Amino acid sequence: MFNPAKPKLRYQLTFEGSWPTSVSFVGSSRKLVAGNQLGQIFVWDLPEKPLEFKADPKSDRQAPNVWPVRRLDGHTNEISRLLVTPDAKQLVSASYDRTVRLWPTDAPAAGKTEVILNADFRKKEARRLGKKEPSTAPGVTVETQTASTLLEGHTDWVYALGMSGDGKRLVSGDASSQVIVWDVDTRKPLNKWSGLPWNHIVSASLTQDGKTALVSEYRYKRDDFDVPAPALKLWDVATAKETFDILKVQFPKLNTGDRSYGGSQLWRKFISQGLIATAFSPDGKLIAAAQGGETDTGRVHLLEADTGKLVRDMSAHKSGITNLVFSSDGKYLITVGRDTGVRVALVADGKEVSTQGTPRGGQFNDWFSSVALSPDEKFLAGSDIAGMVQVWEFEG
Amino acid sequence: MNSSNPGSQHLSRRALMKATLATAAGGMVMNWGGLTGCAALAEEARKQKKHCILLWMNGGASQFETLDMKPGQPTGGPFRPIDTNVPGIKICELMPHLAKQMDKVAVIRSMRTSQVDHPGGIYLMHTGYQPSANVRFPELGAIVAKYTGTEGSDLPDFVKVSTNGDAGAGFLGPKYQPFGIGSEGNLPIFSVSNMDPAKEAKRNDLRTFVEERFATETKSEVAKMHREAYDAARRLQKGRDAFKIDAEWAKYKELYGDSEFGRRCLLARKLCESGVAFVEVGQSSYDTHSDNATGHRGLVPPMEHAWAGLLADLKDRGMLDNTLVVWTGEIGRTPSINNRAGRDHFVRCWSTALAGCGIKGGQAYGVSNETGTEVKDNPVTEGDFFATIYSALGIDPSTENYAGLRPVPLAPFGSKVVKALLG
Repeated sequence: MFNPAKPKLRYQLTFEGSWPTSVSFVGSSRKLVAGNQLGQIFVWDLPEKPLEFKADPKSDRQAPNVWPVRRLDGHTNEISRLLVTPDAKQLVSASYDRTVRLWPTDAPAAGKTEVILNADFRKKEARRLGKKEPSTAPGVTVETQTASTLLEGHTDWVYALGMSGDGKRLVSGDASSQVIVWDVDTRKPLNKWSGLPWNHIVSASLTQDGKTALVSEYRYKRDDFDVPAPALKLWDVATAKETFDILKVQFPKLNTGDRSYGGSQLWRKFISQGLIATAFSPDGKLIAAAQGGETDTGRVHLLEADTGKLVRDMSAHKSGITNLVFSSDGKYLITVGRDTGVRVALVADGKEVSTQGTPRGGQFNDWFSSVALSPDEKFLAGSDIAGMVQVWEFEG
Repeated sequence: MNSSNPGSQHLSRRALMKATLATAAGGMVMNWGGLTGCAALAEEARKQKKHCILLWMNGGASQFETLDMKPGQPTGGPFRPIDTNVPGIKICELMPHLAKQMDKVAVIRSMRTSQVDHPGGIYLMHTGYQPSANVRFPELGAIVAKYTGTEGSDLPDFVKVSTNGDAGAGFLGPKYQPFGIGSEGNLPIFSVSNMDPAKEAKRNDLRTFVEERFATETKSEVAKMHREAYDAARRLQKGRDAFKIDAEWAKYKELYGDSEFGRRCLLARKLCESGVAFVEVGQSSYDTHSDNATGHRGLVPPMEHAWAGLLADLKDRGMLDNTLVVWTGEIGRTPSINNRAGRDHFVRCWSTALAGCGIKGGQAYGVSNETGTEVKDNPVTEGDFFATIYSALGIDPSTENYAGLRPVPLAPFGSKVVKALLG
């Protein structure tokens, strides 16, 4: 059971060269995967006991690094989401290369390769030492894995990926507004539907039983005076029928055909730059939908799943939120965002009980792109766009 | 006759004094048409009945997400190139409709301009000149209106639809000021008279009588401009149907794409068809310092659909040979991606495009280097860009107008026409 007390930063895993975009634990707090904008996925095996670490006053590193052991090859564009089935047998990845892939976690290695994951550090060192070119010293040798199953059906970037509680069903959504619910065992679509034709599916989640999908739609404006309406809807997976539109509960006067600037002012404050991270609470009674993008305040709307009514807003980040996760008991909501913060808040009253992460960017902070809670809920990992996966242990 | 010699035309003492005083004061220097030369050239250009449509990407569209991709580079971004109907030319996957019209388009991938921020860039890419405290340079539209417009037309010769840039007619004077209409393309309320026509005619007779009496007693450029503006506004009543596209939109929605920018482009075609010399159509919000990819995913598809539809429509109507379509914004965007997932301003190497009116389509002119940080081959300055545009429109870019007593060529001194772009 997750207890946010006594957090300790245990690892800072160097993952440079391209922005890390998603992170997940694989079956235990010892195994971790993260993907990046190039479509690479790496696997780390973390030591049973945290490594000894002595801070270097000349460095901003606060915890030891561990190099990855494996690279999963297949995707050719940004990894948007990584999820792992509860039995830890399958890793699921969604990508801008228009595919979803299932990766068996026990697959044998296809080979070995050398990778450089500290490219930014090498460049900094070269500058510090007055050298023209970064060091060409060997990198890290990792296994490669190519074994995966392709789930084909999307025709545009797959932004959204969700999973049922038993890991038997997936929901994915793309930038052509298509939503597909997949049966993991058969690798076939169970059902599919489309959102509003102008929208992108920016987030999708399933209830624990996989029977209901929450789908968030948004697209960036087409012009200051041509702003298509977003949507946040619940769908019945069996029939592919809309159960209800939460935005229409919030804004009864919403006219989805109104693309005017004035029309967008009705929903702009609620949606901000899109509700890009969503989740059902473990008991299915609540929905969390978080505002993303670059915005003054990134809030999570906590909504009743059966009525769409707003319970409260919580977890105010100083800019957009990128990802969120409920603790398994539904007591806590963990959010990460562009303010380089990992925030833990009580679902019951919205009170923030823990904040991790410190800005380490330049003029603007480098944000966290993703967060994951280990199955035992003792560890929490966050990937940041400066090229690091940070792992905290909550000693509770 | 040396058409560029100001002395070849009558210059009133009052106008000369006005220009001289204004120059001496270092302030606004007006020409107002009375000081201009080149009547013969203007007449020649007018005979060709050429038009120009400027598609203005306000804020600065990214070349990496449109016409000059760098796939595989560390900051190439998440989009992938697609083939076009011209072998060897690839553009961004966000532009599938334009890809099918690429044989009509000349892409310039080697723009190197001199104003890196918005106000300066907007001025520069509307006038060809850097902002100056002493001279108010006219916009491209004003020059096209002057040299290819139709005197006494029911419609204005220079129309702006949802766009930016406030240089206007500059020293060419109010006669060539743009007629601006809003983002939805409707005529402004003031342009439609609700008065009974007979009553309005009587009022006009009275106004004309008073103004003519005034004109006989007072040689005033301002009064002259007022009369001309009033007459133009009255004539517009006859031509205002050219601004109505609702009835046609259903037919053209698929061709231009169902967007506000699509509607504006259809309006631009209709206005040119009705005789308007220059129409500028704007699309806003390209200043994507944050979330550049997301922003371009929203902005580029409706824009490119409309652009491609416009080219196809002009071609179908036999208008493309006489209508120049210019695609540009004020700046390009950086090869690097900042930690707001955005691209910042960049003018060392960026892209624009031209089509129609004798432009040799199906080519990519100029080359950027591997990462897009520098022009590798055939740089094109703002002056070269404008000189080429004027040449395509049959206007000699070295033609001089006078800002007060100062001769000012249409394109800055030293500008070169990029002949490879002309068919």
